[in-house]
Order: sequence, then structure tokens, then C-alpha cells
Amino acid sequence: MLTKKLPPLQRFLSLVSRRASHAARQQYDVIVVGGGHAGTEAAAAAARVGAETLLVSQKIQTIGALSCNPSLGGVGKGQLVREVDALDGLCGRAGDWAGIHFSILNRRKGPAVWGPRAQLDRQRYRTFIQSELLSTPRLTVLEGSVEELLLSETNPEEPGTHRVTGIRLANEGTPISASSVILTTGTFLSGSLFVGQSESPGGRIGDAPSSAGLSHTLRERLGLRVGRLRTGTPPRILKDSVDLSLAHLHPPDSLPTPFSFLNTHTRCKPEEQLPCYLTYTTPGVERVVKESLHLNCHIQQDAKGPRYCPSIESRVVRFPGRQHQVWLEPEGLTSDLLYPQGLSMTMPPDIQLRLIREIPPLHKAEIHTPGYGVQYDFVCPTQLSPALQVKSTQGLFLAGQINGTTGYEEAAAQALENLSCYESLWPITGPVGGVNAARSALSMPTVALSRTESYIGVLIDDLVSRGVTEPYRMFTSRAEYRTSLRPDNADLRLTLKGFEEVGCVSPLRYQEAVRVRDSLQEAQAALQTLSLSSPKWRKALPDMGMSETKSTVLTGMDVLHYNDVTFEMLSSAFPESLSRHMEFAQRLKIEAVYKPHCDLQKKEIERIQKEENMSLPQDIDYLTLPVSMSQEVREILDRVRPSTLGAATRLEGMTPAAIVHLLNYVRTAAERERRTQRHLKEERAGDVCKRGVLTSVK
Amino acid sequence: MYSVYHLLIYSRGTPPCRFLSTCEGVPFGLADAESIFALSSGHGRCGVAVVRASGPASATALRCMAGVSRSPPPPRTALLRSIRDPISKEVLDRGLVFWFPGPHSFTGEDSVEFHIHGGPAVEGLGDLIHAETEAQRRQALRQMSGELGHLYQDWTHRLKRCLAHVEAFIDFSEDELIEDGVLNQVDRWVCDLQAEMERHLKDERRGERLRSGVQVVIAGATNAGKMEQADLTLVVADCADLPSDAQQAAAFLQEHLRSVLPPQEQPETVFPADRCLLVLNKMDLLPEDQRLELDGELRRVSGFPPVCLISCHTKEGLHDFLTVLHSSVKTLCGDPLSGAPTLTQARHRAHLQQCFAAMAQYQRYRDLDLALAAEGVRLALTSLGRITGRVGAEEILDIIFKDFCIGK
Repeated sequence: MLTKKLPPLQRFLSLVSRRASHAARQQYDVIVVGGGHAGTEAAAAAARVGAETLLVSQKIQTIGALSCNPSLGGVGKGQLVREVDALDGLCGRAGDWAGIHFSILNRRKGPAVWGPRAQLDRQRYRTFIQSELLSTPRLTVLEGSVEELLLSETNPEEPGTHRVTGIRLANEGTPISASSVILTTGTFLSGSLFVGQSESPGGRIGDAPSSAGLSHTLRERLGLRVGRLRTGTPPRILKDSVDLSLAHLHPPDSLPTPFSFLNTHTRCKPEEQLPCYLTYTTPGVERVVKESLHLNCHIQQDAKGPRYCPSIESRVVRFPGRQHQVWLEPEGLTSDLLYPQGLSMTMPPDIQLRLIREIPPLHKAEIHTPGYGVQYDFVCPTQLSPALQVKSTQGLFLAGQINGTTGYEEAAAQALENLSCYESLWPITGPVGGVNAARSALSMPTVALSRTESYIGVLIDDLVSRGVTEPYRMFTSRAEYRTSLRPDNADLRLTLKGFEEVGCVSPLRYQEAVRVRDSLQEAQAALQTLSLSSPKWRKALPDMGMSETKSTVLTGMDVLHYNDVTFEMLSSAFPESLSRHMEFAQRLKIEAVYKPHCDLQKKEIERIQKEENMSLPQDIDYLTLPVSMSQEVREILDRVRPSTLGAATRLEGMTPAAIVHLLNYVRTAAERERRTQRHLKEERAGDVCKRGVLTSVK
Repeated sequence: MYSVYHLLIYSRGTPPCRFLSTCEGVPFGLADAESIFALSSGHGRCGVAVVRASGPASATALRCMAGVSRSPPPPRTALLRSIRDPISKEVLDRGLVFWFPGPHSFTGEDSVEFHIHGGPAVEGLGDLIHAETEAQRRQALRQMSGELGHLYQDWTHRLKRCLAHVEAFIDFSEDELIEDGVLNQVDRWVCDLQAEMERHLKDERRGERLRSGVQVVIAGATNAGKMEQADLTLVVADCADLPSDAQQAAAFLQEHLRSVLPPQEQPETVFPADRCLLVLNKMDLLPEDQRLELDGELRRVSGFPPVCLISCHTKEGLHDFLTVLHSSVKTLCGDPLSGAPTLTQARHRAHLQQCFAAMAQYQRYRDLDLALAAEGVRLALTSLGRITGRVGAEEILDIIFKDFCIGK
């Protein structure tokens, strides 16, 4: 991937516009609206699956732009990048191409929570994404602003009260139709920008606001519930004006670890990497914030901002009298700007300057672009199916910040999830073709990733079954099966499924994943057959501190579980059977340590899957259900209408008792008849004891 | 003595077993003196338990508890019925019911047999949702509102905080200012919790006894009934057999205890006061001075369990005996109204033990792999959550954002 020669941007842009002019075509399988992280991943994925796809963006130049921080990955987010990559998405490879400072966060805290992260060169990232889109077959990029959605009669064979059949562009007014439309408009839905006391419409500084028609259609014509969220970005600072000698140097890993399973190294050479710098706020910062609160519209609004990505204003207000960290991050190899992470602010520009100069390394700093706040509408994601389709509207899908998330990785992850929308499409457009094939394909179950197999599944499930009250960001603590959903095994979890069931993975990547899987299995088998008594192990591995005094028999897998045993040690002791697996030394070690815990989790996962499979009828009238349940719980259930019992258990405000009632009700309704028969049969048998067991564990 | 045995009423359901110290509170007409009821099958784990009621109130019992309509059912015929609490109408169990109208019954009176699920509730250790009947669930919830509930809620609360701080350290410490020593604090919290839980688990099954009743054995020279693993042994001796000299009487009784009690119940020196009582019947046959002398001697000589002199004939000493018995039973079961709450359900014990073990996983992996250490705290919280309710990730995040200033 990395050896591919990228076309220069100019040539690229001309190509795009040529393509745009070719948009004589008025019919696509999928139209993606928006060219951010969600939009680009969604468009590329749709095309990979086989759909004829159109990507509409207001400004082609900004496709693949990093609107906020110049970094990718991190703890939890890194897992998402690995998973998106495992499904053949773009962002992992783009990160490897554009990264200029790589580090694995949490290195000392256990492989399950390692967080691959990189600082990015903004220019390189955008170039890579644009070039990838350009070279993707079946994908057309069009510059334009979407005025409204085309609605038509619903298909009576599918659920839903509305149907979206395409888009209408502003000015031109030409309708373009599609079977599915994916909206990835980010912060542009009724977006407002705030600096100090001024407010202007828009979703990102420098870009035109999106049309009011779109949000009108969503709210008024489709009747979707929307909420309002806010976010913000820090001022960009001129590097030359910063005294970096007053900040702590934070070097990258000496050996960069690529995000992508396909890459063995990153484009940036280890020695070419740039450092980050760490500094702290001072009491002066707090003083400036407090003095300027009355000049700060954004902070006074009641739209909900993220608790974990707060502006410097909310930090100071919520946790006064403390030092807060500020990271000074490079914006690119040749960029003359620094990104001060932790200093998101919305006060008037002159006060922003006063504020940053209270921080020692920034005492003479100059601001290139002031920080600003954005408030925007999001569509309450509980109105979406797990495929991220709007439940009430046929053909309409949403991904990214429009669903209430924050962050590039979260957006990219969603774009891959609504792959299942192409599931029903691809046989039409793919090699099978023909109406009959399409019909049979439509009855295929949609492919959804579960929270038991991926962070993407955790994200989607949290969104659609719990909704959001603040911008949603991924944390490893959200994943119940964190020890199983590791960054090292995302390929085994997803690539195979992505190829075999979803069709979004290229054969090349699939073959690589199969090779990895087979090699790992082979190596584990070799370790299992290596079975020795503990004295013999001690002799073979003299460095190992084995505590077993008894002469127990241990396999290579058992021994590799030990803290001070590495696969390299085993391999040099038993080269004939193990040395050829050295490529996977680290993965094998991780597997050995985690296997017992994952095996335990597997049982729990099976139980959860049973719950997930216990679907709740969509026509239940929760408000009058004849079971004992509080009004509050009834309203929650009525509002969210969870599709499975598993989803219901995770709702905020649900009580265990209510779940039991619900379970009992659903079961009783379905099983009353069967149970009567069972009792009759048992009565005949007169086997009281046996029934005793049945009734008490029911 | 027969009446002590009948203090036990087993009725599975809500609550599965009831221990009634007097006839007060016994529902419906069974409080009437002429009607009796008792568990007629063996104690302990068994597939089916038989509770028999005999006397004029039997028909009422049948009607109220088994939902049999006014006309009596066919005699001596098995009927499958839901057995309900006569007052709340809550279903306690399903089982077979037999109606034996007098005089063609074992006692000659009207009698009823309830064949119900015996022994402790059969229960998997799986999730509450799957493992429990609604009645058990309600029982658990009721308990949860009491002192035990407060204790478990407190532990849950503290464990949540432990987890929140470990999770904060995992998710945020690389980018954010997480105070030094967060994990050291968690280490201490986990240690404290473990110690408390260990003490709680070592209550020698007092709470479970309260729930399932005290097994009492009455041992004597003749017609001695001895059950394995009895909780309390009453040794009854006849005052008429005693030598008139107090010292000789003491020696005689010592010998008597030795001959009556199985070897494993005979301690080297001192009888555990709460496990054995020596009851000397027919005290009215002893002259007053001999009685005092004997009493003094038995108190002086070590190696005797508490002694009660009674006379079933004159009722003398019965009150004192019941007081002693009462306090022994109280010690055995723990007084639910005072002191540290004790375990009342084997299920709770199992979940708490899992919780306890999971916390050890935290300590084992604390310095090796924080993800696996955190997994230990998560498992501990899940186990405890099986009693107190599930804890979602969002709750943990709430604590994280409350306790730490986190931004990115």
C-alpha cells in the first residue's frame, strides 16, 4: 500500500471535477452525503461491496480533512481504527501513510488496552484519502450542496412510514436517485459557530453552512427527533512563536507500529518522527477564563458538551484550582502550526491570546486561527436500527457525528457498520444480478456486528439502544469483553467475517487474514503438543522462575502463560517445532496469557447472545402491559422500543426487576400453551421431583 | 419436647422456609389448639417434602392454600395444585395435595398432606434472570431493602469506585492528569473489601440457618434420636436416676453424656455452650436442698454444657429452659435485628465467594497486566451485581468524570 505512487493533488482535483462533470448519471445504488471520516469510509465501503456509489461533498478540497486534532487512535479509539482496518477501511492505512509520531499508549498496562495512536500530517492524510477514493472503482465524487431528500411512496413489503429515493442538489435542482442515501453531515446539521459573543451559521470554519432544507426534511417531513450538542476546537498556534524549551519533550516510540494489518512499517521513518510537548495551565489561565465568562456565548448555552473533551472554560469552572495538561502537537512535517490539545476555547480572539500567554512556553505565542465552538443538531440515534438505518424511513442511513458521536474513529466505525445496507444491494449490482437473485437476497438477514465481537458493535449498540446525552466517545471501559476484543486480534475477529458474510474485504486482505489464522492455529497446536514435566521445563528454560514443585505436566501454551516466559525463549529451546512461527511471537504470547480469560468470557458471551436473540415484539404496548413496572420504566421502554431483551437490559434507568417482568411476560405469552401441555404430561408421569427442578430454574 | 420439633414449619416459596418461634402469626385457623401441622418428611435436601396438617382446621387449610373449592375434593386422591400463601395469595409452590377426611386418616382426624419441593431451592448460579422464579426474585428484593441490602449496596458502591478508578487509569492516564497513587488507593480499597467480605463469609452459616431452620436433636438414653450434623443437641436425663450425692451425680451425668453423645460431639474439656444443652427432667422428685447442691456442683465442675432442671409434671423450670434454648438458637442463627448482617441465602454466599475470588485476580495481575486486573474487579462487580443489580459501563464512567478532571 505504501509503495503506491500518489497522484499530485492538482491532477487529482482535475480528475475529480472531470468525474463530477460526468455526473450525467442520475441513478446510483448508494449516495453518500458528506466527505468527512464517516462519508469517505462509507462511500469506499459501499463501492467495495459492489454498489455504484456517489459521494457528494460541499467542497472536494476538504474531503478527508482532519477538522480538529491532527491525530488518530488512542486508548479505545485505536481499537476502532484496528477494526475499521480489519474490515478493509481507509483510516488505518491513511494513518500509516500520514503519521509523523507513533506511539502505543498504555504499553505497560496489558495488550488488551494498548492504544495505537499517531500524530498525523494533515496534508498527507487528506491526500491519501482523496487518492484512495479516486482509485476506488464504482465510486464517483461530486461537489455540491444537497438541498433536500427525495421522498416517495413506501414499499409496503418493508417496515417504515417514509421512503427516501434520492437527493436534490441546491441551485441545479437536478434530482439524483438511489436505493439508499447515507447522511454523514457531521456538525453541519443546523450548525452554528461561536467565537466570543458572535454566532454565525456553519459546521466548520471556512466552509459554507449546509442547506436548511436538509434539516427541515429530517425534522418536519420525516418527523425525526433531534437534539443539540456542542463541541469546540482550540486556536492554532504559530510554532515559531512558542518557546518549546519551557515544555516537556514527549518523544514517539522509537519503532513506529503501523495501524494496518497490511503494513509492516509506516511511511515515516523512525528517525523522521516529530515529538510532542507537554505543558500545564497556570492560575493565570483560570483568572482569564473567569473574567471573560460574560463574553462567552458558547459556554453559557445549555447544549451538552462532552464531559471528557471539555473546553478549557468548562474545565476551569468544574475543577477550579487545578493544573490541567496541555499537549503541543505538530500539525505536519512541514506545517508551521502547533495544535494545543486541551485548550479548546470559545472566548473572543483577543482574550484567547491573553489566555494562552499565561502558559509559560506560550508566553509570546501568536494565534494563527482562533478557537471556536460549534453547536449542531444530531438525530437521536435510538431512532435507528442496528444497521444505522432510520427505522421509520426506508432507504435512509445515518453515520458519524449526526448520530451524536464525536471523533474521527467513531465516525469511521459507523460508516462501516451501515455496510449492511449494501447487503441487500449487492446481489443486484454484483455478479449475481437479476431480479430473482435480488429477491432472494432481500430475505437474507442483515449483517450486524455484535458488541461481543467488536468495539464497532459496542458503539452501534450503545447508540441505537441507549441513545446519547452528550457526544459519544469510545472508551475501553465501555466494552464488556475487553479482554477478548483486543487490538491484536481484530483481523481474526472481523476480516474473515467481512469477506465471507459482508463482502467488504478485498481478496488480498482476506488471504492474508487466512494465512495469519492458520499460522496461529498451527503454532498453538505445536505449543500444545510440547508437553513436559515441570522439572524438564526448568531444565529447558533455566531463566524461568517456575514455582511448581510437584512434577506436573505442562504444555508449551501453559508455560508461555508465565510472566517471564517469552515465545522467543521457547523458540530457541525448541527451534525445530517453533522457530518457523517467530513471525507471530508477540501475538502468541498475548494469546497464551489471555486464553483462559477469553475462554471464560466465551461462556458469558454465549449467554448474552441468547439474550440478544430473544427479540421483543415491536408492537408491545409498554404503557399498558399488565405487569408490575414503574411508569418511568414503561416510558423508557416505550420511547426506545429495544429490539431484544439484551438491548433492554442495557437501557439507562432499567431495573433488574423490570427486566424479569418483561422476560416473564414475553415468555408467558409465547409459552403458556406449551407449559400447560408440559404440566399435563408431567402430571401423568407423576414425577414431581423433576418438575420441581424445571419450575425453579425456569 | 415434641413441641420444639414442631416449631419448624417448612413451606417453600416466599420465604422458602419460615421459623416461627410461637404459634403467633400462624395463618388461618391452624392457630386453633386442636389442629397441628408439621413437616412430616425428613429434613435437609430432598426431592419432595411432605407437610401434614391434622385437625378440624385441615379443611380450611386445603381451601385457603390449595385453591380447592368449597366442596371437598375426592378423598385420598392426588391433586396437582398451586400452593398459595393463604393471606397474600402469592404462589409459594406447585405440588401435590391429598385430602384425608377423618376418621379414615392416620390420625383419625381430618388431615391434609402437601407434597412440596423439599430442601433448599434448586438454583443454578447463572444470571438471576434465568435462574430465578419471580417469587424468589421478590424474596431477594425484599431482603435487599433490609440491613443486608445496605451492606451489599455499600460494597457495590465501593467496588464501583474501585473499578472506576482502575478504568480511569486505563482509559485516561496516558493523556490526562490522573493523580499519582490512584492504583495504590484501589489496592487498599480492594484489600479492605476482601477482609470485610471474608469476615462476612465466615459467619458459619448463621444466616442460612435462620432461613432454613435449626435442626435440633434430642438425645437420650432411650429412644434417642441422633442426626448427623445436628445444630443443637439436647441431652435429657431423669432426675430419679441420679445418686443423691451431688458429686456422684455429677460424675454420673458426665458418664451419661459420654454414653449418649457420639464421640465426635464430645470435646476434650468444655462443651460448646451453644451446641449442647443438658436437660434434667423430673426435678420435682428431688428435694429442694439436693436440687440446689446438684445445681451448684454442675456449675462448679467444668466440662458440662448448660444445665436446665425442669419438671414436665409441675412445669417448674420450663420457662428458664425456654429462655436458655432461645438464646442458644439465637446464637446459632444470629439475631437478624442486631450486629453484622449475616448471609441468608446459599445463592448470596455463592455470588459473594465468586466476588471474593475475583478480587484476588485483581491482586494477582495488578503489576503484570492491568487489563486482566481490571477484569478481576469487573467480575467481582458482576458477581455482586447478581445480588444487588447490574452495573453498567455508563455508571462507571459517571464516577470517573465525577472523580477526575478528564479532557482530551
